[in-house]
Formats: sequence, structure tokens, C-alpha cells
Amino acid sequence: MRTGDLLRVCLQNLLRHKARTLLTVLGVVVGCCSVVIMISIGIGMKKAQEEALAQMGDLTIIQVYPSGKGAQSARINKKAVDQMKKLKGVEAATPKLTEEGIPLVIYGGRDRRYRTAYASVVGIDLSVAETMGYRLMEGEWKTGKKDRVYVGQNFAYLFEDTKRPEGRNTVDMYSGSWTEDGTLDAPPPFFEVMKTPLIFELDSGKEDGKKVARELEVGGRLKEDYGKGEETFMGLIMSLETYDSLLEQQARLSGKQRDGRKGYQGALVKVKDIRFVAQAEKEIQQMGFRTSSMESIRKPMEQEARQKQLMLGGLGTISLFVAALGITNTMIMSISERTREIGVMKSLGCFVRDVRKIFLLEAGCIGLLGGITGTAVSYLISVLMNFAAARSPSGLSADLPAGTAARLSIIPWWLALFAVLFSVAIGVGAGYYPANRAVGIPALEAIRHD
Amino acid sequence: MAQKRPIIHVQDIRKVYRMGEEEVVALNRINLKIYKGEVCCIFGTSGSGKSTLLNQLAGMEKPTSGRVLIQGRNISAMSEEELAAFRQRNIGFIFQSYNLLPSMTAVENVAMPLMFRGVGKEIRERQARVLLERVGLSHRMDHYPGQMSGGQQQRAGIARAFVTRPQVVFADEPTGNLDSRTTEEIMKMIMGFARKYRETIILVTHDPGMARFADRIVTLKDGNIIGDERKDEDGRYE
Repeated sequence: MRTGDLLRVCLQNLLRHKARTLLTVLGVVVGCCSVVIMISIGIGMKKAQEEALAQMGDLTIIQVYPSGKGAQSARINKKAVDQMKKLKGVEAATPKLTEEGIPLVIYGGRDRRYRTAYASVVGIDLSVAETMGYRLMEGEWKTGKKDRVYVGQNFAYLFEDTKRPEGRNTVDMYSGSWTEDGTLDAPPPFFEVMKTPLIFELDSGKEDGKKVARELEVGGRLKEDYGKGEETFMGLIMSLETYDSLLEQQARLSGKQRDGRKGYQGALVKVKDIRFVAQAEKEIQQMGFRTSSMESIRKPMEQEARQKQLMLGGLGTISLFVAALGITNTMIMSISERTREIGVMKSLGCFVRDVRKIFLLEAGCIGLLGGITGTAVSYLISVLMNFAAARSPSGLSADLPAGTAARLSIIPWWLALFAVLFSVAIGVGAGYYPANRAVGIPALEAIRHD
Repeated sequence: MAQKRPIIHVQDIRKVYRMGEEEVVALNRINLKIYKGEVCCIFGTSGSGKSTLLNQLAGMEKPTSGRVLIQGRNISAMSEEELAAFRQRNIGFIFQSYNLLPSMTAVENVAMPLMFRGVGKEIRERQARVLLERVGLSHRMDHYPGQMSGGQQQRAGIARAFVTRPQVVFADEPTGNLDSRTTEEIMKMIMGFARKYRETIILVTHDPGMARFADRIVTLKDGNIIGDERKDEDGRYE
């Protein structure tokens, strides 16, 4: 038989018992919906998790530390960083210079009116600062001869006014009121940090009171990022060379020799994709360093999410199997009604394989119809669920960190496609046994008198 | 009318059914030759074995022993797929209870055997319409079986049996469910087709009135042939 004829016969049969077909399809719709919704919740959960992790820090950045202070332990020097750059999947790497206990005072404003001694300074390779995930709120990344610093988001609040008495000489950024949408309406700091050059002053640390001072232009204001560190908040970053030369000068002044072999206090390594993280981390550890990345948190979370997804999907599949039983039941009923018809068809020369095809097609059609309708209904339910979740912050999405879009259920295109194909497969599978029964009906049934 | 080579050749057919412990011999060593263009009636009371013989002839059941040749081909040894293909080409059926599919119109029902063969919708339905016109159903082409009388349904059944121009048409009590006036009409129609296309017809019946339409009457009793008469030129059986 031609395919078109097979389809026509199958549709004619399905339309003969509209109510029965409809109810069977409805069973598949319910089954399909439960699978899709369950999996979509799993996907939504995973997505929320990823977003939460991304908020905690960039997932593709590995922080590197020296493993110990001993003389034998490996040092993070230029050579080591160059080696890290060559690892598979590594996009960029930079040393991180964070000297502690440096007598640094920073002045701003006219006549050095505002001062602070608490700024944490970080020296990195500024050409890859953007790659490393440092984001600017103002200004832009410029690399040139001129030395620039990039200050933390709230750097300006660090300063005290030298012309005011103790106790009233600082601006408390938290003294402002919270606006309705949850942002802080902070009072303005003493000076506009973007328009004020900063003077860096380092003293010798000795009685002589000798000092070195350097004026540096502010190139931009960083966006606060807890994953990065204090420098994005109330600190600043500058180029390795600038910081190095400042420290060099200070060392000379104090008469102490800088221990050039000590190496940097850390490094940042950025990989191209999340899948390179584990491998790169392992290799850096083999070089003798300690590492930390979001990988150690992400892995178990991912595993847990996958388990939950499997469990949810499994629950959904149960109802689809119930629907499959419904299809089998309907088909068997239909076959026992059509016993004589099948006999007639056979006695008129219908091939056994065509009889089988007709019944498998009918079952498959029920699956297809149920799958398509079910997927459409799932989209609707998904939208409603997300709408409800967005409306009630205390709802199901409460355990998600604030700020993540409250999308409880996500249906990607592949899930929709999978749902339809799976429903068809379930239908055909459910039709297999009835089809075989139909095939077994002898042509003789046509002549049986009743 | 006797020709050298029979179109249906029944060779020593035996059919035994098992009913629990007992064995029932439905056909006991039947030998029969039927020739092209013959209208042969298999006549007998219920339980005589006539239906069983029809089943063997049409390949619906396998004999316990012996074989049935149609056009020299042993249908008793054919697989189901081979039989289906063979039926598509060579065999037509007219049933007692018409057996039209209720979900199909008259045209679709008549075109069905051609559909099984893989003939396109347009061609097969054109042929079906020609046949339906010939049986006088031009006004019922697109009606469903449920909307037709018994006689009309059987006429559609006849059109369906002849639409493939088969070698042999089996008619199993074709008028069993019809009144006497319609019976006459239907039988004349079948005979008309048989004569026109020089079709071989196997007519199974228990009704002596029906049997008289045939050229030849084979009478069965208890699984044995007890009579085989041919109509002579005067219309008498010998």
C-alpha cells in the first residue's frame, strides 16, 4: 500500500471513534505534560544554580596561590605565569601583586585635603584586566605610556577630610536611605574620584621621614565584584610595572633590598570554557601551586541538579507510561471490534505488513497528537508557573539567591522536540503488541457467520 | 466445456479438525477440477463441508493433506505474503454479509483491493466508479455502507469482487441475507459479470434455488462429493 493510503485509512479509523481517540490522546497529553514540566523545572533549577554561581564569581577563572612560604616551594614568577598561559584552554594569565604592610598613603583633592591609608592595592597585567572579569562602571581601559589606576566602586568613601575634626571627617556611604528597588541611595563622597588625580605617597618607614610621591590619573571606576576581591570595592588596581616601580622606590628609600626572588602573591588564570577548568587546575597544581575556582563548588551542585532532574523526569515518565497503557488498551479494543474488517482486508489481498503498519500508525498518530498538544500545553503551564513564581517572592523560588530571574521552568527547543518524538515512540511502542495481534487475525474471520 | 488444464485443481484434499479428544473429518479426500469460465456451485447442507472446501480453495486454511492448485500454482504451500499478493491478482470475494468497511464510502470500498495493490487513488477510484455504475449504484457512489440497503451493499460487494478482473471469484452464500426478489437481481448480476468477462465463479450455497444459476453443481455430504452434475444445453443437469 502507498504511504498516503496507509495514513488515510489510519485517520479514517481514528475519526470513527472520536471520543475514544480524544480520551486516549488526552492521556498522552497529561503524560507528555508531566514529563516536560518536570524536566523543565529541573532545567530551571540548574539554570538558577548556574546564575547563582556566576554571581559568586566567574566560573572560568582560576585563582593561583603559592603553596607555602618555604624556600623550596614553587614561586609565582614571570616564568611560571608564562607556563600557565600555555596550558590547554587557557585564554590569559596574569600575576597578582598584593604587597602587604606597605606604608602607603593616598591623597586626593586640592592641597592633599583628603587622605586614606587603608587602600588595598593590586597590581595586575592591565591589558587582560577586562578578560579577567574586571568591569568598569565609568571610564575605559586604556593602555599607554601614562600610568593609570582603576579604583574600586566605593573607593572615594575611604577618604577622610583633613580639614574636619575627628568623627565628622568621613562620609558614611551606608547612611543613605534604601530606595524601593533595593539599591542604596548613598550620599555623595567628598570628591569626584574620576576627575581627581591621586597622589601616592610611600614613606621610608624610618625616622628620617623621607617620602616618595607619585601622582596617578584615575582611568576608571570598577564595578564591585565579591569574586574578585576588595580591590573592586574600596581598593584599586594598577599595572604591575607601576606598582613594582613604586615598591622598588620605597625599598630603596628604606635601605632594604627587595627580595626579587620571592615571586608574586598570586595569579589569575582565565580559561576559554568551563570544561577546561578542571584540567587546567590540575596542571597548575602539578606545577606546585594551590588553586581555587568555582569548580569545586560547581561540580557537586551540578551532580545534585542532574540527580534531581533525573528523578523529576522519572516521575513524569511514569504518567507517560500509564498513557501508553491507555493507548494499548484502546488499540486492543479497536482491534477486537475490527476483527472481521481485518479478515476482510486480508482476504482481499492486504499484505500482512500493511496491516501491521496501519495499526502502528494509528498508535503513533495518537502519540504524535498527544505529544504536540502536550508540548503546547506545557509551554502554557510553564508560562503560568513562571508568572506565579515571579509574583510571589516567598514562593517556590525562595531558595534561589536574590537577583536571579525567577524562572521556575524552562523549556528549551530540544526538550519540546524530544517530548514529541518520545510521545510518538511511546505510541508506536504501545501499539506494537496490538498490531501483532491484528496481524495474527486470519482472513477466515471474513467468512465467519455470526 | 471441458478443457485440458483446469484453473482450479483440487488434489486429494483432506481436512481434519480436532475438537478436544475427538477428530472431525470435515473433508475426506476430495478431488475436483474446475475450468475457466465455469460457474460452479458447491452445494450442501450445513455441516456438509462446503464452507471448509471454500476455505481450502481460497487459501484461507491449510489442508491436513493434499493440495490446491490455482492456475498451476500450489496455494496450499504459499506463505501469507505470497497469498496476499496472489489474492490481489487472481481472486475476488463476495461475502454473505457484504463486508464493506463502514468507515469508507462505496467508491473507497470498491477501490480497496486496488489500494492494497498500490494503485494510485485517482486511477483506482475511476475504475471503481465504472464498476459501481455497472452494478447500478451511480447514485450511491459516495454513500457509506450504513446509508445503503442490503441489496445495494451487496451490489457494491460485487463491484469490489470484479474490480481487479480476477481469475476466480468466490461467492459465499451471496444472497443469504437478502429477500427473494433481490436475490434474483443479485444472482443475475453475478452471472452477467461471469459471462461478460469469462470469469470463473465458485458459488457456495445451501439453497437449491440458487444452485440452479450454476453451470455445474458439486454436491457435498459429510465431507465427500456425492454428486457432480453439469447443465446441458437444454438447462437440465445430468
